[in-house]
Amino acid sequence: MAKNKGFDFKIKELENSLEFEINPKIYSLNAIYKTAYFFLDKVYVFLSGDPKKEIRVSFKVKEAGLDLKKLANEFYNELLNQLLREKVSYSNSKLREFIVAKALYNAVPNEVDELLKEVEEEDWQEDPLGIAKTWEEQQREKGEKSKKGKRSKKGKKKAK
Amino acid sequence: MIEFNKKIYKLEAIKKAAEEFKNLANIRIKETGGYIKVTFDKIDSEYKEVLKDEFTNFVLGMLS
Repeated sequence: MAKNKGFDFKIKELENSLEFEINPKIYSLNAIYKTAYFFLDKVYVFLSGDPKKEIRVSFKVKEAGLDLKKLANEFYNELLNQLLREKVSYSNSKLREFIVAKALYNAVPNEVDELLKEVEEEDWQEDPLGIAKTWEEQQREKGEKSKKGKRSKKGKKKAK
Repeated sequence: MIEFNKKIYKLEAIKKAAEEFKNLANIRIKETGGYIKVTFDKIDSEYKEVLKDEFTNFVLGMLS
């Protein structure tokens, strides 16, 4: 097991495979899973060890010619990336929940919207009860009706 | 045989992977102590070299 230059982590090189250790007190198991997922298309990844003390990551080449040491270093970088994502996700969780809740609320038509739609669909310009008419208009119409009534009565009497 | 640490790998993920790989080999899952032991028999000759490694990758993919 050799120490990586400049970094304090151990890399064990075997034939077509490589092992290194991760401190689970710094990196969460979830971050390790997500990081490992990133490398599944390049290498075979196997996790072992104790999640409370030390997690051992084993890489096995899929295709010859892959620089496993370089990949291990990239793994550590991606691990940091995932850790940061996790922390940002945690700190923004309330805000995210609020945005999603608001979006869902707006997506579902509420009662007020439905009532407004009903009112808009109604033909409000029709006024069968004459509510929108002024008092003068109503009186004028009443007067006209009574005149018509008298004329029709007179006409009927003449015909008789 | 592969020994999966119970504290790292979930049994559900291993079972689902076994279900996906059942056409390529006979797979047996056994829980012993802190480990889940997975044994492979009658592995399809075409995938003999890579089956176990692909299986571990598949399980890991289910966890993330």
